[in-house]
Amino acid sequence: MSQSKLDRRQFLKGLGLGGAGVALAGCDLPSYVTLEQGEENVISYLAPDEYVIPGVGVWYASTCLGCAGGCSIHGRVREGRVLKLEGNPDSSVNMGRLCQMGQATLQSHFNPDRIANPLVRKNGSLVEASWDDALSLINEKANSGKAAWATGAISGHQRVVVETHLSAIGGSNHYAIEQINANVWQTACGDIIGDPNPEIHLDKAKVIFSLGADFLATFISPVHFAAHYGEFRSVPRGTLIQAEPAMSLTGGNADHWVGIKPGTETSLALGVANALMNKHGISGSGISNATKSLINEHDPATAASICDVPADRIEKIAASLAANSPSIVLAGGTATANANGYSAAAAALMLNQILGNIGVTITSGRELAYPQLGLIEGNSANLKDLAVDANKGKIDVLFVSGTNPLFLAPKSIKMDEGWNKIGFKVVLSSMLDETASAADVVLPLASSLEDWGSHIPAYSTGTRNLALQQPLMEPVFSNTRGFGDVVLGLAKQAGAPGLDEYDDYYGYLRSAISVLKKTDSEKEWNSFLMAGQTPVPSLGRKLSYIDGKISQTANTATDGGLTLIASARMGMWDGRGANLPWLQESPDQISKVVWDSWAELHPKTAKSLGIKDGDYVTIKSSNGEITTRAFIYKGIHPGAIAVPIGRGHSALGRYAKNNGVNPLFILDGGVDAKTGEIATAATRVEVKNAGKNKPLAKLMEIDRQHGRKLVATISADKQRITEGGT
Amino acid sequence: MVKDSSTKRSIPWIRLSMLMVFVGAIIVIAAQVLDQKLHYVGEDVVPGPIVPGTQYPDEKFTGIDVPQPINFSHKIHAGDNEINCMFCHTYARRSKVSGIPPLSKCMGCHTVIATDKPEIQKLTAMWEKGESPKWNKVHDLPDFVHFTHQRHLKRFLFDNEELDVSDAKRVCSMCHGDIAEMTVAKKSRPLTMGFCIRCHEANEGPSDCTKCHK
Repeated sequence: MSQSKLDRRQFLKGLGLGGAGVALAGCDLPSYVTLEQGEENVISYLAPDEYVIPGVGVWYASTCLGCAGGCSIHGRVREGRVLKLEGNPDSSVNMGRLCQMGQATLQSHFNPDRIANPLVRKNGSLVEASWDDALSLINEKANSGKAAWATGAISGHQRVVVETHLSAIGGSNHYAIEQINANVWQTACGDIIGDPNPEIHLDKAKVIFSLGADFLATFISPVHFAAHYGEFRSVPRGTLIQAEPAMSLTGGNADHWVGIKPGTETSLALGVANALMNKHGISGSGISNATKSLINEHDPATAASICDVPADRIEKIAASLAANSPSIVLAGGTATANANGYSAAAAALMLNQILGNIGVTITSGRELAYPQLGLIEGNSANLKDLAVDANKGKIDVLFVSGTNPLFLAPKSIKMDEGWNKIGFKVVLSSMLDETASAADVVLPLASSLEDWGSHIPAYSTGTRNLALQQPLMEPVFSNTRGFGDVVLGLAKQAGAPGLDEYDDYYGYLRSAISVLKKTDSEKEWNSFLMAGQTPVPSLGRKLSYIDGKISQTANTATDGGLTLIASARMGMWDGRGANLPWLQESPDQISKVVWDSWAELHPKTAKSLGIKDGDYVTIKSSNGEITTRAFIYKGIHPGAIAVPIGRGHSALGRYAKNNGVNPLFILDGGVDAKTGEIATAATRVEVKNAGKNKPLAKLMEIDRQHGRKLVATISADKQRITEGGT
Repeated sequence: MVKDSSTKRSIPWIRLSMLMVFVGAIIVIAAQVLDQKLHYVGEDVVPGPIVPGTQYPDEKFTGIDVPQPINFSHKIHAGDNEINCMFCHTYARRSKVSGIPPLSKCMGCHTVIATDKPEIQKLTAMWEKGESPKWNKVHDLPDFVHFTHQRHLKRFLFDNEELDVSDAKRVCSMCHGDIAEMTVAKKSRPLTMGFCIRCHEANEGPSDCTKCHK
């Protein structure tokens, strides 16, 4: 082969320079594509309000409904369209911040796949109908038996109208379903320290020891905690220790990430307690003798043999906690998503007790003085209850809104069968998700940016606020109606008393809030709307401590399989984010994968199973199988395989449909022993190479820098000196 | 010579793709040269009045005729009757867009003026129906370009001691040509990045990319 004078490098250089020249020259010449004349329309206002200036945005306050967090938002409205959302700086929930799901709410508002007209099932398929026809059909059938409502997390006056409607149609069961929740932690807090939603002061802690609680992404109010985490990390820098079987966003930020055997978090906590009491002279006041003897049984070596964390690691964690007070110990996420979940939360609270954190970094929260407006957080135990009750024939008429049970339910709890036994199903939704697709009547809802509402945020410190939601623009689809309007209409139609004076939900909400705030003035109402929130009376609670039931059954499965972790992520969340391209295209926080599911496997496990990165793997449980591609990564326990929740839809619009897999479907239906929460990190699965390989679409091909200094780092010691330490 | 397959991998499609890129580049250059010819600037372009104290852009462009729902005459309004541009395009000094005046502004005069003209009757009919005309956009920049009228008016008109505010149309004509001589507007400056940059250089405007590309 003759050597060419012009090698490839030179050729590419030449091409690059030439290309740049062409591009620059292009800037100066009329382009064919972009500089259009007469292609677009400009439509002027007829008679605009005085403050309206085209091109200048006006910011309106409202509330984000992306999750139960209830962050206050400001939406920029220009030329009648809402274009951008930001956090409301005056909010005690999010303090001006907003997460990616909040930002992407815009796309659920402008989504092309939104339902535009009511749908009614005729001859087996959903066909468009008028509101009158749909509502009269509901009126005809709603009283035909035992009625129930299923919602997501719900609070404020929406909760009141739903419950009013439910009692008007003679039903009593309200299933609030949220797959991603902190129910186990909150139940344990309620039982043990007497406050289910205590204030958690990450900013005051010097060490955070978190058992699976992904407080930066999925735990109660992630935006709030992320802000406090920022303070925790400023000078002097706090230490974050995260123990979980598969790395979460919080785990990725930790100083010490501990890959623990799934379901054995209790023994780690007991081992740490043992080291604290025996090596660091911590007395353990307030701990019962039964718990003390349990702690004595779990010296670090014993604990290590159960939870697969080296004994010296356990001792180091204890030393760090002993040397830095105050600290805080949290439990949530994967640690509470197994049969021992409640025990792990109880053990975490026990650690807080012996470390003296209760009353210091964990303090009492405040309770709303109007419990009827309070937030029903929702949990997955309710999902299972819904399936069980439906199968038993206890539900004849079901109204669903804000949740997608047919997507969230594991096949093992037989939700599909139960669903078919329900005689008449009405779904109120803005998107045709799996549940809406299987309904008898679908009522198209306004988006959260077109609707009125009042909400109690899942978590806030100090005064409790009622967060107000107001429309930021005219409806995109003119035949949709607000959630409150629809439910109020249904309640009126069902003969609920005392509602006739309200023409619409706005009138109801305004009158209810004027009663609550004891003022009827227009000026006050406008000031509430401008602030986006208004304080409501609340009562203080007191913390106490009574030992919770701590028990540890070792994970000694010898079936040769792995434990499936259906991991929760900010982004797709429980699947509601899958129809939003901004979230689909945002690289996952850990794997950096976009637009698809993946299965995280430890390199050792992958090697022993003969699986390479990008190989299709079949994950088989006793309840079915899913096939997705492997992502080989050290941030997972070798005995686990993690598949994120949220993808694998068979409906929910063009962006979500047929994209990825849903690990929830193959869960074995196991629950946390105490709360009944569906155990998403406990199903045993068999993993096999499916024999095909296709590289995953991800933004980071390798997780090393290869000396390129993409991210500059200095040692912790040097960093301490630069921050004024010695 | 020993062929080292590990360092010199042969990629069969690379030559073909490079050839295609090369041919593509030639086509783009040729097309642009051709395009310049197509948009040859003839004698019919009216030179605009000059703004004192500035380097005035002299590049011309002959745009296409863009039909409008109402045959609005800039000549009658801004030319013959010497109405200040900013009387109707009232947002220009407050916003990035100059704005099409709201219909209520048109009707402010035309409930009494020239009500016998067919174009005004068209306008009145729209007003009574509560419909705005669907104007066709003549001066359209790509979405990644953030041009602001407000800033340019401040620089060339309000901060310009040599120019009286009543002479606003001189500033407008820097980019829009002599609109006061037109009926419906027609593009008469290229409004390309090169056009912007040359004026920015001559008048010491900002030159960082992010001023316009946000």
